[in-house]
Amino acid sequence: MANWRDTLRILIIVAGITLVGNLIGFKVNPIEAIPGMLVLLGIVIAGLILAKLIPLKLPSIVYISLIGIILTIPGFPGAAWFAAQANKVQFLALCTPVLAYAGIASGKDLDEFKKLGWRIVVVSIFVFIGTFVGSAAIAQVVLKLTGQI
Amino acid sequence: MHKPSEWKIHALVLAMVVVSEFIGIKSFQVGPGKAILLPMLYALVIGFLMGPKFLKVVNLEEMKLATPFIGLSVMLLIAKYGTTIGPSIPLLLKAGPALILQEIGNFGTIVFAFPIAMLLGFGREAIGAVHSIAREGNLAIIADMYGLESPEGRGVMGIYICGTLFGAIFFGIMAGFFASLKIFHPYALAMACGVGSASMMAASSGALTAVYPAMAKEIQAFASASNLLTAADGVYASIFVAIPFTEWLYRKFGRKDNVTRAAQADLAAGREGN
Repeated sequence: MANWRDTLRILIIVAGITLVGNLIGFKVNPIEAIPGMLVLLGIVIAGLILAKLIPLKLPSIVYISLIGIILTIPGFPGAAWFAAQANKVQFLALCTPVLAYAGIASGKDLDEFKKLGWRIVVVSIFVFIGTFVGSAAIAQVVLKLTGQI
Repeated sequence: MHKPSEWKIHALVLAMVVVSEFIGIKSFQVGPGKAILLPMLYALVIGFLMGPKFLKVVNLEEMKLATPFIGLSVMLLIAKYGTTIGPSIPLLLKAGPALILQEIGNFGTIVFAFPIAMLLGFGREAIGAVHSIAREGNLAIIADMYGLESPEGRGVMGIYICGTLFGAIFFGIMAGFFASLKIFHPYALAMACGVGSASMMAASSGALTAVYPAMAKEIQAFASASNLLTAADGVYASIFVAIPFTEWLYRKFGRKDNVTRAAQADLAAGREGN
């Protein structure tokens, strides 16, 4: 991203759009969801700062996840409050704007896609099925063996 | 950065979100299972249609401008996933062995797709194509090891483009379908959703929660924990296991000649156009 001001502006716009989707799709009043959205925004900003400060070459999403986890882990001061606020922002409502931007941006890949030919599309379908079924099968067996399900 | 077209994109996204959320979640019967359609998938498809090929609402410049917004909007989603993992840490620890071992299942891409790639006549393209689900990190590794203009590079690019275009849609429908088949426990399916791509995970775990609304919290926690693991281990898994394993498979079963077959020509043609 170009700079912090741009980053912050776009994050706030996305947050606003998400609150609208959260209202329409899940009937959550935006006023009620604002504290949760501010919690999420704070986590993102803290994660971006950490990614800049820490010299490890880890993607910023790792730091963002970790801060989100630590804030809401049982036993952390205010964990229940953070989790309850974040719960008011539905995760499906957060996904819709992401894929809306992705849709607009990916329109340009349609040309590339047309040149690929059907064979690679077939391979990609097996790639997707492979990772999903592979993980589900192992998880199922291990969950059963360890008596979790 | 402060061009009026940026606001046009945000306004469009707002309109697309409003329309998609109004339509809401739909499901329909497909053979023995159910397909779940989520608002995020409508938004994705409406987005495709905005381009110069269809509705001509946005031009190429504006499409390029929208690209960094994906990464930023994903961060809010990732933060949300963190807050879903936190409260479920006790549950995740209990399921720890399954959560860690199912990461091996990500090599299922090779098991399932390598034979198909060979049947379809691919050469070394197959190494790039099947070693992983070809997200940005994997793209970077292949670019580093072979170069993106190499056969391996063309293979990984092909899957990357397919994943960008219909990965989320495919994962959403596949996860909903498997959930309705009831072969796998919802926890196992939830872990399988963490494939290392935020949009694919969102679509697949979203479909699962639509089938099992009572387990929504656990499903999100397992899916996002698994996705986080894949984000952390994916690069190493590719470098140290997936690529050497695929190379070995290729030496054993791959093409020995250098004849360019139709499949390779397909991908080569795709690169010439750039």
